[in-house]
Formats: sequence, C-alpha cells, structure tokens
Amino acid sequence: MNAIEQYIAPTSLAQALECLREGEVTVLAGGTDVMPQSQSGRLKFKPTLMNIQRVPELKGIARDGDAIRIGALVTVTDIMRDTLVQEFFPVLVEAGDHFASDQIRNAATLGGNINNASPAGDMLIPLLVLDAYAELAAKPNGEMRVRRIPLGDFFVGPGKTRRAANELLTGVLIPLPPPNHFARFFKFGTRPALDISAISIGIAGVRTDHLLSQVRVAFGAVAPTPVRAPRTEAALEGKRLDRATIDAAAQAAYDEVRPIDDVRASAWYRRELIRNMTKRMLDHVAQA
Amino acid sequence: MKVAERPAAIAPDTLIGKRIPKMDAPEKASGKTRYIHDINLPGQLHAKILRSARVHARIVRIDTSAAKALPGVHVVLTAADLPEQRPIGVAKDHLPLKRDRVRSERDEIAAVAADSEEIAEQALRLIKVDYEDLPVISNALDAIKPDAPLIHPEPHGADGSQLSLKQGMPIAFSGKKDNIAMRFDYAHGDVAQGEADSDVVIEDTFKLHYVTHCCMGVSGVIADFDASGNLLMYSNTQVPFLHKREFAEYLNMDPARIRIIQPPIGGGFGSKLDIYPFEVICVFLARAARRPVKLVFSREEEFLASPTRQPVLLTLRSGCKKDGTLTFRQVHTLHDNGAYTSWGATTPFVMMQTFSSLYRVPNCDYHTTAVYTNNPYAGSFRGYGNLQATFAVEAHMDKLAEAIGMDPFDFRLKNAQVPGEVTGQGMSFKSCGFQDCLKTAAARSDYQRKRRDNIAARSASGPIKREGSNPAVRRGVGIASMLHVGGGAKIYPSDGCGTILKIDDFAHVTLITGASEIGQGSETVLSQLVCEELGLPISSVTVVNNDTDITPWDVGVHASRTTFIAGNSAIGAAKKARAKILAAAAKKFECAEADLTLRGGHIVRAASGEPLIDLARLMRSLHFSDKAELVMTTFYYEPPSQHQDKGFKGDVSAAYAWATQVVEVEVDTDTGIVKMTRVTGAHDVGRVLNRLGIEGQIEGGVVMGQGYALTENLMIEDGRMRNPNFRDYKLVTAPEIPEIDVSFIESMDGEGPQGAKGVGEAPAICIAAATANAIENATGVRIYELPFTPEKVYRALHGKADKLYWKPWKPD
Amino acid sequence: MSLKHDIAFTLNGVQRKVTVDVGQSALAMLRDVIGLTGTKYGCGEGECGACTIIVDDQTINSCLMFAVDCDGRRVTTIEGLTGDARADALRDAFVAHGAVQCGFCTPGLMVQASHLLAHHPEVDAATVKRGIEGNLCRCTGYKKIVEAIVSASHAEEGAAR
Repeated sequence: MNAIEQYIAPTSLAQALECLREGEVTVLAGGTDVMPQSQSGRLKFKPTLMNIQRVPELKGIARDGDAIRIGALVTVTDIMRDTLVQEFFPVLVEAGDHFASDQIRNAATLGGNINNASPAGDMLIPLLVLDAYAELAAKPNGEMRVRRIPLGDFFVGPGKTRRAANELLTGVLIPLPPPNHFARFFKFGTRPALDISAISIGIAGVRTDHLLSQVRVAFGAVAPTPVRAPRTEAALEGKRLDRATIDAAAQAAYDEVRPIDDVRASAWYRRELIRNMTKRMLDHVAQA
Repeated sequence: MKVAERPAAIAPDTLIGKRIPKMDAPEKASGKTRYIHDINLPGQLHAKILRSARVHARIVRIDTSAAKALPGVHVVLTAADLPEQRPIGVAKDHLPLKRDRVRSERDEIAAVAADSEEIAEQALRLIKVDYEDLPVISNALDAIKPDAPLIHPEPHGADGSQLSLKQGMPIAFSGKKDNIAMRFDYAHGDVAQGEADSDVVIEDTFKLHYVTHCCMGVSGVIADFDASGNLLMYSNTQVPFLHKREFAEYLNMDPARIRIIQPPIGGGFGSKLDIYPFEVICVFLARAARRPVKLVFSREEEFLASPTRQPVLLTLRSGCKKDGTLTFRQVHTLHDNGAYTSWGATTPFVMMQTFSSLYRVPNCDYHTTAVYTNNPYAGSFRGYGNLQATFAVEAHMDKLAEAIGMDPFDFRLKNAQVPGEVTGQGMSFKSCGFQDCLKTAAARSDYQRKRRDNIAARSASGPIKREGSNPAVRRGVGIASMLHVGGGAKIYPSDGCGTILKIDDFAHVTLITGASEIGQGSETVLSQLVCEELGLPISSVTVVNNDTDITPWDVGVHASRTTFIAGNSAIGAAKKARAKILAAAAKKFECAEADLTLRGGHIVRAASGEPLIDLARLMRSLHFSDKAELVMTTFYYEPPSQHQDKGFKGDVSAAYAWATQVVEVEVDTDTGIVKMTRVTGAHDVGRVLNRLGIEGQIEGGVVMGQGYALTENLMIEDGRMRNPNFRDYKLVTAPEIPEIDVSFIESMDGEGPQGAKGVGEAPAICIAAATANAIENATGVRIYELPFTPEKVYRALHGKADKLYWKPWKPD
Repeated sequence: MSLKHDIAFTLNGVQRKVTVDVGQSALAMLRDVIGLTGTKYGCGEGECGACTIIVDDQTINSCLMFAVDCDGRRVTTIEGLTGDARADALRDAFVAHGAVQCGFCTPGLMVQASHLLAHHPEVDAATVKRGIEGNLCRCTGYKKIVEAIVSASHAEEGAAR
C-alpha cells in the first residue's frame, strides 16, 4: 500500500516551493512516469504527494531574452504545436513526433521527462544539442532562489539528476539558434513512435559555406545518461562536410560510445547503429 | 407493417457473400458490452495467486499465518489445505497448487480470497516461502542429456500413487527415468527410397521461438457455489462442454451440477482451450470461502502465466528430382514442453499434416520428442504448430527450386495437389483450390517479375540508383502456401455441434447453438446461414450460445471448425423448420410444397415470387389453431471425417483449406530493419459467407503472422521471462501494417455450409515463411531462426550469425 | 488505510463528487468507484490505449493518470460518446466497416478516433495510423479500423457541407 499521508495541489509556485522546503515530497505532474513506477514498486511514495499541475508559473512557452523558455508543465503535444518551437527548434517537433503515443504526449510534461532522466529520453537528446539549460527554483530561507544549470550537467545517472530535494524544475531555456543553424534527431526503431529506442542521435551546429562550427552531437541509450560525444564533435568541428569527414566522424562515434547489452539490443549492435546512423544523418545534412 | 400491405412480387435474394456487420458490434462500440472483468457478483471476493520466486526448487515451507491474519482476508489456500487436489492438463501432470516442488517461474504456490484486490495483493506479500533451489534446465537440449536432472521424477496421483495414462495416447509419462513428456512418430512411404531417388537433397535446422497470445482482455474467472453446492462459473473458455466434464473430475463433482456461462471474450486465439491452474484455484477458493470469488490477471501475470506458442527446434531433410518432383521429407523436432504438459505438446498432430501433405510428397518420416524443462509451457495458438512446420517446408521449397534451377513458383505449382487427390496421410482433398491460390497470389502480386528484378538489383554492382531512395534499402518478395483443416478435426470422440432453433409468433428466430463466439463473428455467420434458409433478414435472429445449461453440446472453438460444423448444424435445424413451415403453408394454400419458398419474410410462390402470407402470420395461425403447433427444431451435425488410426493416418477433417501469400519487404541493410510493405493473399475458403467478417479474420491473421515473423519475441532466459509487458514485447501497431490484398478462391466444398470451409487460423500460418523467402530474395541471405528482429537480420547480413545445426535425434 | 481525497469534476457532462484513494488511477476510479466499465484495463502502463479517455479536450491513458488529478476537469469516457452526431457517425462507421471483432480495444479506439477527428477534420489513412499508434488491437489487424475512421471523417465532411 502506498504511504501517502498528505495530498496537496498548490496553485502558485511559492506555495509549491514552501511545501518542498518543509517535508518529503513526491512531485506529480502528468503521472506518465510516477504512476507506472509506483505501481511496479520502482518508486516509493514520500509522505506528501504534491500535484503541481495547477501552478501557473510552470506553464507556457515564451521568449526570454535571447532564449526561449519552456515551462516544466508544457506537454510534448504543446511543444509540437507551439509556433515559437516550430520556428526556432523544429528538431523538438521532430523528436515529439517519435515520442510514445498521442495519449502519452498529451500528458507527458517536459519537466517530468527531464526529471525522469532516462538515458534514452527522446526529448532530452535534442535539448542537449540545443545547449538547453534546466531552471530550478527553491525557497530555502523563505526567499525564492532560481538557478540555471546546463542540461548536460544536470543528469547524473539513470533516473538521477542534480535537483535538490527542496528544488522544483520550473522550466527549460534554449538559446535562440544563430544563423545557418541546423539540428537533427534520429531515433532507431521499427515503429514511428511507441518504442524505447536502442539508440538515438542528436546532431546540431552551424554550417557556413561547407564548414561546420559549434558542432554538438549527443547520443541516447549508449550510456547511463544522455551524453554528448566530444570526439565525434571534434571530428566535425571546423571541417568541411565531405565524405572523408563524415566517415571519420562516424568512426569516432563508433569508437567513443560504451553501450551495454540489455533486453533491447546488444552492445555490439548499438555501436554498429551509432556508426551507420551518424553517417546517414550527416549525409542528410550534407545534401540539405 | 400494415396487414393489408403486401409487396407485389419478391425477387430472389441472398445473404451469402454479402458484407454483414457483426451483430454485437454496436454494443461493443458503445462500451456497453460486459466482459468478464466488468462482471461483479454481489458479495464477491477478489482472488490473487502467489507465484513462485524460483524457477526450480523444492518447497520447504509455506507460512501463511500473517496473510490469514490480515483484516479483509477470507481464505488462504496452499496445497496442504487441498489433499484431494488432482493434477490437471493434457497429461495430468500439473497440480494447480504446487505441493512439494516448483518447476517454473509461473508455478502457483498459494492463493488468497479477500474483500478487495489491494488486500489480496497485500496478503500475498505477507506469505513467506522457504525454497531449496534445484538445478534449472532452460534448454530442451539439456533436458535430453543422459545425466539431466528430472523435472518430474514421479508422477502425481490423487492418493500419491503412480499415475499412468490412457491407452493409445502417444504419451510417455509413467515414472520413466528421463524428461521425455511425449513422442510422436509418423511415416508414409519409404524415405530411404525417396532419398535414393533424389537428385538434390538438402538438410537444415530451423528454430522457432516463444510468442504469446496477448489477448487484449486479460484472463479471468468467477466461481460461485449456490446453496445446494451447484457450481456456476463465468469463464472465457473456448471449450465449455469439455471444461464442464473436466472440472467435474478435478472437483470430484457431478458434471450435471456445473454450469458454465461464457461472457463476451476479449480475444481467444486458442489460449482458452486447456484448463489452467488459476481456474481450478478460484473454484477451490469459492468453495472454501462460501462466497463468489473473482480472479483477474494483471497484464504482467497474463504474460507470465499464460501458455505460449510451442517453440520448436526442427531439422528438415528433403529432396527432389531435377524435373522438380518432390521425393521425400524427413523431419525431427525437439519440442520444449516446459514444466507441465499443455496443448503445445500435441502440435505434432498438425505439423505432421503439413510435412506429409503440403504439396505432394510421396515419402515422409516425422518424429517429435517433447521434453520437460523449467520453461513456461506452451498451449494451443492459432495455427497450432502449422506456422512452425510451414516455415521449414516453404524454406526448402525455395531452396530445392534454386538447387535445380527452377522458378520457385513453377516448382510449387508442379507439386501442388488438385481436387480428388488423397495424400500419404490419408487426407482426401475433395474441394481443393491450391493451384488457384498459387496462381492468383503470384499474378496479383507480380511475384515472378519482382523476384527476378530484385535478384538483378542485388547482383548489380554499386548501389541502386532509384530516385530519392536509400541505397541501403533492398526490396524482396517471397511466396509461401499453407494447408490446414477446414472442416473440423476429429480428435475427440465427436467433432459435432448441436443446434436448437425456435421461431416465435413474430417470425423472430432464436438460434441456440453450442458454438461459442470468440470475437471471430460466428454468431453473425450462423445467423446468416439460418436467415438464408428461412428467407429472413439478418435482424430476425437472436443467438444464444454461452450457457451450458441451455445450449446443446459442441466440442469447442478450435481447428477453424465453427463455421463449417456449427454452420451445418444450424442449417440442419433451419432446414427442418423450413420443411415444417412449407408443409403447413402448402396445406393452407392447397398446393405442393415444391411450389413454395421462403423469401423476404414471406411464403411466396417459388415461380413468380408472389407472396401468399407473411411468415409471422403463418406462425400465429399455426400456434393459435386446433393443433397448437410451435416451430421448434433440433439438429446435431457430425462431420463425415474419420479418427486417425494409431499411425496418425486418416481423413481427419471433412474438408481442407489452402492459402498462398506473397510478402513484399524492404530491408534496410544499415540497420537490419525489415519493413513488410505488402501482403497479397489468395485463400481457398470454399465459399465466402460474410465478406466483411472473413476479410477481418484474414487481415487480423496476416498482422498476427507479421508479429510472429518480425516483432514479437518472448525472451526467456534461465527460465525467467525478461519482457512480460507491452513495452518490450512488441505487438504490431497500426503504422506498421502492410498493404493487404485479399482474394478468395471459392472451391465450393460439397460438405461445407453453402460450400464454405474454415479459415480462422489460415491467414497467420504462412506469413513468416513467405517473409523468410522475401528477405532471402532481397539480400541473398537466408535466416533460419525467428523472429527477424533488426539485430538478428543485421547480424545475418554482416556475417555475425552462426547457422544452427541440430543433428536429427529421437529417443530409441 | 490509504489516504482518501474528495474531488469534484464533470464526467460525461454531469457534475460529480467522488471520494478516491490518493494513489488510485483515474481508470480504477472510473471502473471500481463510479462503476463505468466501458473504459478497459489492458496493461496498466500506457502501452495499449484500452483505457483512453478525454480530459479537457485531450486524450490520455487513464491508467497513468491519478484520480485526484481529475479535480476540476472535464472528463469524457466511451459512455459519454453517445447522442452526439459525430460520435454516432463514428460508431456507425466502426460497425459498418467491420472494425469490431472481440471489441475489447474498441472503446479506447473510439475515444481516440473521436479526438483525432475533432482535431483533424479531414484525415487520410496515414494520419489515422499515426493517430492510433498508441492503441493496440490483436484481432483486426487495424485495416478496417483505419477505413472506418477515414470514412467517418468524410461522412462528417459531407454532412457539414
């Protein structure tokens, strides 16, 4: 039986943070991770269950200086439909399209996805290559404090992040892309969506004439967290996107990943996929 | 309709071949249908089963004291509380609640009945079990090693005595010192001679994997004893009358005091043909609690505890002459029987039919050994061994054709039987549309040309330059056929079905049939056949089919038999009613019976269509007359098939059915992903009855076959199921389905109802076989093990897969 | 004793007050507390779609939703998809096209399809297939389900003109 002793549904961020400051809390948003994990015993409820779905400060997508801020409660469906996202980060629309199913997209929040910190998280890979930041708020001494941390530093292990127990993930900031920016996402699978991927790949950068710069490469499901691929990035940074560069980058990707064997795929196969699909993605970028 | 109104003349019409919506569809689409999960009896308790934490172990101690003390718990049972417990199942080797040993992960150890599911689950967590581990056998090959530990060292009996089984059954279980559960041996002709006559001989090992039914409605049962000790069960069994008899045996009750009501089922596919421990356990709980008890599985439990499809390790040796004539097939299989015997062990009944009779084979030798392991046991699953057998046969048809340089379609056509042939196994092909199936499927799919083009593309140097396409993707096309019983299968003493039919004062028909509806549309088809005889619209029929106290006997829904046998039974009863009606009308209108017929709800003059009286009026005039007659008729139809002899020979079905399917794929050689793009099928169904229903059966079967070939894989390691959930056990989803083109070959079977034959299992049977051939056509690589997951295909394409060989073996 | 909580929400157009377990799913509330059994348990993990309901104009898997989260919301289940011309057209299409066999997946599919059609008045087969990718069916092979939904969208379109 669950050990929930108190249920609250705050209606402001301040109220939610007060609650977090005071006690042991399980945070509930869409429920798409909390419900199955609590049923299976993987997640044990803390004494307080806090439903943050009605906290207005956590909603919305808006321009925030030279970045776009996506509230933690924004669902995957909301992200796909938003005009700012469609204009500046179509790769997020692409990733959303491969996410689970319509029913789950309608309920799954970006904040929940990030806090769940799955090594195969579909939305997390593109966010990494877009240099996104996680925004966290707390009220440790009665005064609200907000901090930002690059998403790449936020993930510590499967299901583990740097969020302190008294902090709430309030949103994600994504810097507006520079001119000539491209970003792509690939998720391996036999289905368009409804799949936990054996591997996924995000590639972004700036392409001026035929030279690449500000290259970002991230892989999913080949490490305990979604990871950047520094050697692959180095193989592309400042280079012409030609056959030799593409082959070298694909090989660098093959060499630098350390995947595991599990019920979905073997390590050997994951590396083959990483190499072959990195090559294919770069081919597409080159042809675009 | 006003009494004075009568249509001028009623033209002949027919329901046969029309698209008739399923009668229960409106209710189901409104969410009003109450499945077993939705049924709640007043005062009911909820049951949960504690399953083993070990794969193979001695049970040292079970402590249920804490569970019994939990508020809300009414009954906790273990084997110790049930000394009279009898073993169940096909080989009677399976105690519902395990006494001194667990032999698999799914083994039932204890059961709880409580006020709610939550309390029952909590009670399970309070039960303490001490085990002493035993070595695990998780591979059938290990089970036949001379020093292998015995899974069943001594057989169970009600009084602990050694249990031996009925004479004549091919079962070897009576305290023998090995793990062999069953063996099957069959032969016709002389394979040694056949091999000597061959110009080409090939031999390969095939490995067929575990998949499971995944009915969308999980298993459940409700048991309720009344004040006089009569048992009422709400059960989704596909064989209610067999169950009644068997439950009576297991519960030591008079079968007359057991009533089974079948609520609408959330899918069957053969999963509900055996008796499973959870059903017997629920009855024990109801008896002990003296309250109704409801037991429903979780999805995880459904995966863990349901029977699987029979996994098979198979070596096939076959040959042909250089003119393309098949000469022989020699088959050895090793069946992993799991811990207890269910219907999976008897799949050889069907498999030997395919090896002996799919295409003309003059000599055939077949041997199956089913061995106990600590794996999950297999049951019956749509196709019943035929998918596995056809996978091997059709791989060899392609390989033999290639070896003699013959087109694989021509090779198949040359060896395909025609009407009138009797096979070496004694199956008499009266109606036979096999050659038409081959020709139609090949022509509609343009198989021969595509096959040649794909080979050319494969051999051409450099990547294929197709506009906008990915050079890593190769196209392939593959063909395969199947043979299955289409008129029942006489494996029980009777393969019949009874019907009771009554027509009321308003010309409304009540059709009481022993045949169950499992979602396949039998209700609608039976109504259609009756209305065709009686000239009534389909809305005139109410079907009663789900209560053993009311319905006449039927052996059950299996072997694709329902349309054929229940259909003929319904027609028989309808014909009797028709005769009675026409006799009365002839008398009333002073003419010959032959001058009259039934059309559009009226009795009409056959020649002109002139209506004489509407049927309802005639019924009332019969009823409210001096003679006071109601129209009530009965009919029991027993198909004219034979029981097989001890050598498995005989004309076991009243009809046989064929299908040919051509599967087209795209193989991405960079990932191994196989996309099934198109399936073109030609099905010999005898005659199309309900066109909408039969298309639905075929489309569903094709996609089930697609899952078996490409996506579904129940991963069992060391006896443990690694993926008991939909997240990692992949059913086919809507975006993945191929284009499906279906043609019907109407061979008009002489015995079938309106000429129809059974089709329920057919469409699933040869998809995987055709897919293997298609992948070979696309890539030049043949894969001998299922499923064709991306990783498996990728490994095969890149030389990272070893070809399995199992030396043919059978026990001495 | 698990913690209980009172919620108030609109269910199929009617205001309701219900007391639920805090840890309970919306699916369990609908089936076991309120007694509406049309919404089905298929897997409990959001993989099969049999439990699909509409909450504030979006479809979600009720097995993943907490019952307490229904507070203040508008919930529609299969039972609420009646008496509405569009829902009737969809049901008629399911029946006429043979999209129902055992029927267990049908309520979830009907709800998902009605939502799909509400947001995409003109659908083609490819869009429908993606739209129902979260609903599993073991009987039909999906083909007739897709045909029914496409046909219903054209029927509406025809009616609208």
